[in-house]
Amino acid sequence: MRFRKDLNEILKVMNQDDTIAANIAHWKTLPEKAGKSVEIPEHVHPKIRHALEKRGINSLYTHQATAYEMARNKESFVAVTPTASGKTLCYNLPVLQEVAENENSRALYLFPTKALAQDQKSEMNEFIEEIGLDIKSYTYDGDTPSNIRQVIRKAGHVVMTNPDMLHSAILPHHTKWVSLFENLKYIVIDELHTYRGVFGSHVANVIRRLKRICTYYGSHPTFICTSATIANPKELAESLTGNQVRLIDNNGAPVGRKHFVFYNPPIVNKPLNIRRSATLESKKLASLFLENEVQTIVFARSRVRVEILLTYLQELIKRKIGNKSIRGYRGGYLPKQRRDIEQGLRSGEVMGVVSTNALELGVDIGQLQVCIMNGYPGTIASTWQQGGRAGRRQDESVVVLVASSSPLDQYIIQNPDYFFNRNPETARINPDNLLILVDHLKCAAYELPFKSDETFDGVEIDEIMYFLTEEGVLHQQGDRWYWMNDSFPAHNISLRSASQENVVIIDQTDVANVKVIGEMDRFSSMTLLHEEAIYLHQGIQYQVEKLDYEEKKAFIREVDVDYYTDANLAVSLKVLEEDKQKRYPRMDVAFGDVTVNAMATIFKKIKFGTHENIGSGPISLPEEELHTSATWISFPQDMVEGLSEQELEEGLVGISNVLRHVAPLFVMCDVSDLHVVPQVKASHSQLPTIFFYDRYPGGIGLSEYVYDHVTEILHEAEQVIKRCPCEKGCPSCVGNEMQDIDIKGLALRFLSEGRNDSKHVFTK
Amino acid sequence: MSLQNKLNRFKKELTHVGTENQTEKKVSKTSPVRQTDPSWTSFDAVEVEFDDQYCILREKTYDRNHKIGPYRAEDLYDSVSMWNERKQSHPLSSAGRRPEDLLFFDTETTGLGTGAGNTIFLLGVARIMENAIQVRQYFLPGPGHETALYHHFLTDVQDMGNLVTYNGKAFDWPQVKTRHTFVRDMVPKLPSFGHFDLLHASRRIWKKSYESLRLANVEQEILNIERKEDTPGYLAPMLYFEYLREKDPAILKGVFEHNELDVLTLIALYTHLSNVLIGQGQETLSAVEQYEVARWFEAVDDIEEAKQRYVQLKDSTLSFKAKKALARLYKKKKDLLQAEVMWKEVLGEREDPEAFIELSKIYEHAHKDFEQALHFAQKGYDTWKNTSRIIRKNDDKDRFSYCKRIERLEGKIS
Repeated sequence: MRFRKDLNEILKVMNQDDTIAANIAHWKTLPEKAGKSVEIPEHVHPKIRHALEKRGINSLYTHQATAYEMARNKESFVAVTPTASGKTLCYNLPVLQEVAENENSRALYLFPTKALAQDQKSEMNEFIEEIGLDIKSYTYDGDTPSNIRQVIRKAGHVVMTNPDMLHSAILPHHTKWVSLFENLKYIVIDELHTYRGVFGSHVANVIRRLKRICTYYGSHPTFICTSATIANPKELAESLTGNQVRLIDNNGAPVGRKHFVFYNPPIVNKPLNIRRSATLESKKLASLFLENEVQTIVFARSRVRVEILLTYLQELIKRKIGNKSIRGYRGGYLPKQRRDIEQGLRSGEVMGVVSTNALELGVDIGQLQVCIMNGYPGTIASTWQQGGRAGRRQDESVVVLVASSSPLDQYIIQNPDYFFNRNPETARINPDNLLILVDHLKCAAYELPFKSDETFDGVEIDEIMYFLTEEGVLHQQGDRWYWMNDSFPAHNISLRSASQENVVIIDQTDVANVKVIGEMDRFSSMTLLHEEAIYLHQGIQYQVEKLDYEEKKAFIREVDVDYYTDANLAVSLKVLEEDKQKRYPRMDVAFGDVTVNAMATIFKKIKFGTHENIGSGPISLPEEELHTSATWISFPQDMVEGLSEQELEEGLVGISNVLRHVAPLFVMCDVSDLHVVPQVKASHSQLPTIFFYDRYPGGIGLSEYVYDHVTEILHEAEQVIKRCPCEKGCPSCVGNEMQDIDIKGLALRFLSEGRNDSKHVFTK
Repeated sequence: MSLQNKLNRFKKELTHVGTENQTEKKVSKTSPVRQTDPSWTSFDAVEVEFDDQYCILREKTYDRNHKIGPYRAEDLYDSVSMWNERKQSHPLSSAGRRPEDLLFFDTETTGLGTGAGNTIFLLGVARIMENAIQVRQYFLPGPGHETALYHHFLTDVQDMGNLVTYNGKAFDWPQVKTRHTFVRDMVPKLPSFGHFDLLHASRRIWKKSYESLRLANVEQEILNIERKEDTPGYLAPMLYFEYLREKDPAILKGVFEHNELDVLTLIALYTHLSNVLIGQGQETLSAVEQYEVARWFEAVDDIEEAKQRYVQLKDSTLSFKAKKALARLYKKKKDLLQAEVMWKEVLGEREDPEAFIELSKIYEHAHKDFEQALHFAQKGYDTWKNTSRIIRKNDDKDRFSYCKRIERLEGKIS
């Protein structure tokens, strides 16, 4: 018989085993914290009070009590609550009380995903059953059978849905929802922090439409939002809802002890400062826990990483933990697969899960003890969210952050104070992005004609109305604009994907049973689903046999190879218009509109384990064009005099490598949302230039934020390079070392001299 | 960059609405001028006002012996009186009603689907009067006139208990409800509605015989009506948009005529359906269609009628199916004697596991003749084993129940 170690014994091993202990850069134990609570308010309905008591809730945490009072006073608010602090009561209590007092009242709950809504419905219905009042709560999503849809529309007190469904199924059919819209008292927005970037900008417009329909039917609902910790919850809630919103952050829930371990893989090549792969180290740490049957979640930064880690772990653990399994979890899996995995995690049948940030949200997967992050998740907020997956219910738990060799990871791991003391990032949206705005104005006009003096929740729209009339989409008659087109505008507008069209992935391994196994947005498909690419799905390797870019279909077949593929994207930029500019002694910074042309060029085959390049091939896909906003930094000609073409190029590439990771940290966006591209000779000025551009057509404010905070960002980038222990550059800062070129020195020269902070003297 | 410039830069993305051709850019920004356009009167239409809005009302009357395909409008009288002579209920039965009560109804809209932004611009109604057929069409001269449209429509047509439509249950009526919601405070309430949906009826009878059951197809294939120079329904939205820009009623002449022909066809189609169901029209049906009619009667629990139809099919190409259906009917009505005869007739055509098992049951429970029962059970099992099946999902369960029956009967014998 084998003895299994418990969590504390494993922690001892980590501290004693040299191959582990030596790599622990920082170990912080966050102490447990006692809760703060107050009496349940007097006037809470006796049946609700009774149901609470039956669940062992005899008092409310302070933040729950504040939330209840504010909601009762019809004040919109956002409650910032860590995982496992009883946030659902912040909205369920006032909503149920309202319905108990007035059975005509209605509430609409918005969750970012279908899965979250389904979780909440089960919880809500259990609670309602204990209360014993006739309150009806339903989810309304693509899976809702048509025979009960009518019941929900007419009689559902609480309707739980997602923004996509609100956008394409509820608002365009508002005449079928009269009783909801006439009596809507509360709109609950859960996981507010997920509504940022393009998605958030779309959702803000959906909410503008929602408010417009409510006004039409005479209701003025109060907004209740909950959010994970971000720097600007109040600001985000206000720009998302267009209302004044108050902030609740007096968290009164108790917190369990948590070990936060910063783990830096050992250096395997000293001169090049190359570290052992974070993926291999994550595998090692994860198996330590999994072998002892401690339920563990591993977060990886990309779909490909998830699949690679999954393959490793499944292989390793195969015989050791009986029939309990390790599963992968990410976007692109079909919903049913995901529900199975969630269920398995709750029941304990699934021992380990490797996930992208898809599981960062509040999907109920029960209590896990350990969280391992393969690479820094990119933002402080995400790190806390992912770490919150371990020990949700107040027990002791462990979070291990395994640093990759990217500049950002190395910066974080070597500066733990930065992580523990700095405010988390700011979430940004730009509801007035022209493309997004116009898309939703079309939907809004479909829902209700616009009057000539009407605004779109404060946004002047006359010019756009005239434009759409000219284009034959609207018809002006008298003082109104009417929808006059035979299409259904919401169907052509997706809230989630920038390119609006997804590529369907078709597995044709079994000729008799060809099936769809997933989908991917078009832009990603250029580099992940090109012909001959190795695509990984649930740990199984597939080769792409054909990518039908016109029809948006990728045909794949199962293969067994020892490599994966990595594709290159060539990008060219053209400045269309300069809107803002500022001058520094040795550099100019500008913001404006650009055209980006992107084309996938070649792919490399990279061997598992050794990560060596074992072959390559061309990719022939059409060029994608993007109009967007950008910020660019150009350096004067005299600054680069005396440098060879190659030196100049490597220097700029080096800076870009660092900025690519540092800028998203400030902007709170994914690395893939804000691109950084260096040009030795920008076509508009002939000067050496570095561009930052938004990945979404029209821009969503990311590069504008870079413009506003350019000196801070450059300063941070300089710090990253300076602190790096390498000599002339390494993958953890400016990129690979080049023979004869001091990339590090060049990069530092541009960064400091540009801001005229000439303490650094460049020596060749 | 100015907003105007941006709008132009993104023109392609911004105007992508998913369908159809881009319309040309001439727009009239003035509201429609109130004047009696002679081109309206030229096709029998007048403008009618309500408050500060108006709508167009077009009325046409035809003689009661007006020909619609193989029928005359007045044939409807015979159909309704046939239904009135029957006691059994049927989804198409107009028993208890007069021919004048039926309201043949069809709409033209600006798009497909039932969303809030899909506008009905033409409501067409045909009904039979004592000496004539009256067709009334209510037309929306611009999106701002819906109050007038629904005011006049609902004031004229107060009883909607007997609408006859083609797919109205899923499309026209929900859309009327949607549009009515926008003007519900200013116009009469929607009356409760009752419905004969001829698409459902056509599907019941002809689904297996025709590829498409669009009204245009049914009209052509079944009623032999050939339309000349018809404006196809799918063009209606485009023509309406064009009318809104050009304000020339002549653009819509074809749409009005198309809608009028549609509601007239509904009269003939109702007559024809009644005829094939309970009148002389049965002979025009193929065996397959006859069989579907019988099944429909069975489904609405009109067992006598169903039985009669199946009996008629006993000498047709579908005799085997008809006999099985009959046997099941007798079994359902607990007429074991007849059932036994019929199951044996089925076996007279070919060996059939179901027939064997049913006979086994009758011998076991009614005749208490276990030897015979066992014989049939075994024959049934043998036949089942030799039958090739496409769906093998229930194989184990079926095999088990055969074996169990045989085992039980063997037990009873010893």
